Amino acid sequence: MPCHVGCAYFDIIKRKIKFLLNIKFFAFKVLYMTRDKVSYKITKFLKSALAAVALPVFIIYIMIAKPDYTIMNGLAHIVLPVAHVAGDVITWPIRVIGQSAHWIRETSKLRTENEELRVRLDEALANKNACDVAILENQKLEREIDIKRTTPYKSVIADIQFDDSVFHHNTFLINRGKKHGLEKGMVVVSFDNRLIGTIIDCGSQFCRVRALTDAETNIAVRITGSDISGFLHGNGKSGAYIGFFNDSEFIGRKGLKIITSNISGILPSGIYIGEMINEKHVDVIKPNQISRVMVLKYDDQGSYK
Amino acid sequence: MIYNISLILKKFLPFLITLFLWRLSVYFWNPGGILALIPIFYWTFVRHIKGFTWFALLFCFLIDYRCNLPLFWTCMFCLFYAINGFQNYIDIQNMDNNGIRAFMLFSGLGILLLIFSCLTWQNFINNVWLFIWLNVLYMPITSLNKWTKQ
Repeated sequence: MPCHVGCAYFDIIKRKIKFLLNIKFFAFKVLYMTRDKVSYKITKFLKSALAAVALPVFIIYIMIAKPDYTIMNGLAHIVLPVAHVAGDVITWPIRVIGQSAHWIRETSKLRTENEELRVRLDEALANKNACDVAILENQKLEREIDIKRTTPYKSVIADIQFDDSVFHHNTFLINRGKKHGLEKGMVVVSFDNRLIGTIIDCGSQFCRVRALTDAETNIAVRITGSDISGFLHGNGKSGAYIGFFNDSEFIGRKGLKIITSNISGILPSGIYIGEMINEKHVDVIKPNQISRVMVLKYDDQGSYK
Repeated sequence: MIYNISLILKKFLPFLITLFLWRLSVYFWNPGGILALIPIFYWTFVRHIKGFTWFALLFCFLIDYRCNLPLFWTCMFCLFYAINGFQNYIDIQNMDNNGIRAFMLFSGLGILLLIFSCLTWQNFINNVWLFIWLNVLYMPITSLNKWTKQ
């Protein structure tokens, strides 16, 4: 009989709790045992069975949930920011050194860049007047033939957090998300208004952007100054190419400028993409060339979702 | 106090290395934090650490998310975990060179599947580079095991 007074009673209670814990956390307990014991082998077998069961579940999920992956993205929206914060803490010294080296390199470049930019600014100012006139004329003509363009009413500036160009995928994370009014399907451009990609997943504090060089990129484009349209695909790494022209006799050449077309209803028309560098390939901006982007919010967002 | 901190650090070193490599993702050298596959593999299959499996699974998921490969490395991890558990013919834990051959099989099979998912020269070269780079860094990273307390 347990003694209800003094230490003996508590010892018995402790032993009981310990016994119960041993039963409840049997799986953890056996980890301490040697590899030759039966209990170890059973645990190993059970764990492997769990992994084997998880595998078809994952595969079925990948097939069913494509292309939205709602559960997976939802989980990532919770786990990713936590992992980023923890990672930021432990990689802090490395990143400080990296940033310092980057700043030193940037500062050394600034003087030369400044001189180059002054020359370009003078040239640009000289062209500005001619452009202003052309824009006004263009607007007048558009009004006359009743063309309605989607115009961005707001832009959000974001920094590129990670360039995750790996395998045939080319995506990157930006540090703005739903909290800043961003949504899936929005257009990401550079500061010189060149298309970089579209948002494919949006968390509360970050967004994942698919670059034009991604192998899954497939957007409708048009060659400026003509009615020839085609589709732009990423080659998975360094560039993009154009094909499926509506005019089968058309052959591309170096110097042709490409803009978006809204024939597929995915993107708003008229966003500059880049220049053709040969018959098929287009010179597009790669995520590793830039560090900051603009996300455009359009008046009629539904048209390109 | 300092002794206790160093003890804790030693105990959590595998977790910290995984997080470190995943977070320090750099274009070309560590795209999408792919190098984190090395500690994930080593401390799951070769020198198993209590509680690391769930952590490894989570980071496989995070690598997949960042690389835009839905659950690819997570499935690969589960596949290897299941195969390794059900058989006793190959003992990864007692393999030479920290089990680099098993890791080559793991990374090689995954990368081969990724090559076939997009058959272009660019993708092929890129994947071959990643395979070589992963396996070159395997020994230096896994040699950090001597600093851990198990």
